[in-house]
Amino acid sequence: MATLVILIVFALFLTAIWTGGYDKQLLNRFRSHWLWDWITTVDHKKIGILYLIGGAFFFIIGGIEALLIRIQLLVPNNDFMVGDTFNELLSMHGTTMIFFVAMPLLFALMNVAVPLQIGARDVAFPFLNSLGFWLFLAGGILMNLSWIFGNAPDAGWTNYVPIASNEFSPGTGIDYYVLGLQISGIGTTMGGINFLVTIINMRAPGMSLLRMPMFTWTSFVASSLILFGFPPLTAGLFLVMFERLFGANFFDVAMGGNPVIWQHLFWIFGHPEVYIVILPAFGVMSDVISNFSKKRLFGYTSMVFATILIGFLGFMVWAHHMFTVGMGPVANSIFAVATMAIAVPTGIKVFNWLFTMWGGKIRFTTAMLWAVGFIPTFVMGGVTGVMLASPPADYQYHDSYFVVAHFHYVLIGGTVFGIFAGLYYWWPKMFGHKLGETLGKWHFGLFFIGFHLTFFIQHFIGLYGMPRRHFTYQPEDGLTTLNQISTVGAFFMAAGTIVWLINIIKSARSAIPAGNDPWDGRTLEWAISSPAPEYNFAQLPQVRSLDAFWFEKMEGNKKMIPAEPLGPIHMPSSTHWPFIMTIGFFISGLGFVFRSLEVGVLGLILVFLTMFIRSFEQDHGYHIELDEIEKTEKGANA
Amino acid sequence: METEVQQNQAQQETDPTPESAVKHLLSFALMIGLTLVAFAAVMLEVVPAGMVIPFILVLAVIQVFLQLFTFMHLDLKNNRMTVTFVMMGLIIGAICAVALFVLG
Repeated sequence: MATLVILIVFALFLTAIWTGGYDKQLLNRFRSHWLWDWITTVDHKKIGILYLIGGAFFFIIGGIEALLIRIQLLVPNNDFMVGDTFNELLSMHGTTMIFFVAMPLLFALMNVAVPLQIGARDVAFPFLNSLGFWLFLAGGILMNLSWIFGNAPDAGWTNYVPIASNEFSPGTGIDYYVLGLQISGIGTTMGGINFLVTIINMRAPGMSLLRMPMFTWTSFVASSLILFGFPPLTAGLFLVMFERLFGANFFDVAMGGNPVIWQHLFWIFGHPEVYIVILPAFGVMSDVISNFSKKRLFGYTSMVFATILIGFLGFMVWAHHMFTVGMGPVANSIFAVATMAIAVPTGIKVFNWLFTMWGGKIRFTTAMLWAVGFIPTFVMGGVTGVMLASPPADYQYHDSYFVVAHFHYVLIGGTVFGIFAGLYYWWPKMFGHKLGETLGKWHFGLFFIGFHLTFFIQHFIGLYGMPRRHFTYQPEDGLTTLNQISTVGAFFMAAGTIVWLINIIKSARSAIPAGNDPWDGRTLEWAISSPAPEYNFAQLPQVRSLDAFWFEKMEGNKKMIPAEPLGPIHMPSSTHWPFIMTIGFFISGLGFVFRSLEVGVLGLILVFLTMFIRSFEQDHGYHIELDEIEKTEKGANA
Repeated sequence: METEVQQNQAQQETDPTPESAVKHLLSFALMIGLTLVAFAAVMLEVVPAGMVIPFILVLAVIQVFLQLFTFMHLDLKNNRMTVTFVMMGLIIGAICAVALFVLG
């Protein structure tokens, strides 16, 4: 195996040398291909679309895994996917859905919307943005390669040691998990830092912090959670990697180690992580609800305050995932109280959404349907969350299907609904045409019904005593009907997703231009043409209020007031180095998975080599000249 | 289509807060040096066994300050956001460290 990998690396090096200028013709042929354009892009809108494609791809893979799990649980004593295969399925389903679906799809929305909402021409670090995307993709592909090589991670998405140690998980399964997450984690951290710097430094004139749209605010807080939350995961993954690959003993009690350390490190990351994936969804909901109620967001400042408070408290509650570890009643009580405290800012948000809709002129577009469906669904997930936060009760619920129901209510009812709302809302700004509303409503209906059918029943499956992560149950357990209802629901969700995909293809085929402002929008992104031009704003807008574009509309202006004269716009040039650097990381990860240190080091050498080249590359970007801007602007307004 | 324009070099020279590359390189070298000393302290057994951990901790503290001031820009004026984020990181780090110490 290792020889094969070395050969592939060698071939890649050869092509790199080939394309590196020795064969100009070949190079030009590559450069003129449309794929090259996408590989080298540093445009935040295009990277957003790439994130969307990547996330949707893994969404389908994760969804298929979920369906297989549900088919296995259709009848008692089923032998469709048993034992290790079932463990692999559930581990990969969880990991894929969190790291390779929720995160990239939210990054897709953030990439598309945040720079436009704050009136910026690009993100602060376009190079890092591109690198972040490719690293996510490399990590996701690396982990899913484990299916092809026949040994997937099987210790759950939490990857607890000692189950994940060499002793109990021999083979390379866990190594895929560790290295895949490590690589994509680097990318995510970069993305987080990038958005922090962008939002702090690149706001348009007049866009003070308290005039930022809610989605930008939640992205900001989520990015700082990424900044503080991912390092513990990186540290933990390194510990597992060293334990598995190099025989370290961090978790071996006999050698003075402690297996609980992994649980702590994982959940110090893991709890902020669930807020990382829910906060941007909150932001989408706030923008969508305010837009389609034709009202200013109720209690904007309290929303900002609640967001920051949730972000801060998110770091104080990780041990509520570990009540049954045996930390003692004092520690359990502290973390229980802190957890319940989070219900307060979340409650503020829910009431603010309701009051935003109250008295508003509500339009039930598909985006709004997702948002309206989200509120009760998320509240149910929140209520079971508070139930789980009570340690004595948690001793009963722990590791049962009740927990599964709870986190699917918050993750699907919150994050996935939020992502779909955001996609239907910003689709015209991404592609220039709307997603079909009729099919969109079918999508919502099927998915919404399917979701509640699948997971509402799982509360009871859990209360009747079925433990999570088990591949079967007995006919006399009385769980057969409930499980069958749940499985039927899963197929409804699959049907909904298929409708969504059909909708995408159908809308793209007809591609009816949606116009600049299809929803009568309130924020800056609707003040520019759809799809947004490369440079976003020909002239940076002067922001005079919260909901800046709406304010200008109410003042009788059709456009934003420009804050600068029209002039040449400086743009970053496309670069292929992020892609090459990612190939280095990927080779390195694959090398370490196959326990070939040579290949692993070889990949890292490629990484450092590209870093070195990048550091000394003189590239100041280019300018889009005045006449070209005028031509684009005229074309867009015609 | 696009005319490639080299950005005006003069713009960088008139930057209001010039940061010397020398300072960065110097502290980078110093950090690598400190890390090497820490490794040496363990591997070469020149430091008495009981003193190894305190010694490494002292090196770590020095390194943290170097990091904060040269790379996290705590020495720059007009840096409210930087200070906020560094303080947040310290608070969260401290809470996690104490909790791990007590519970781990």
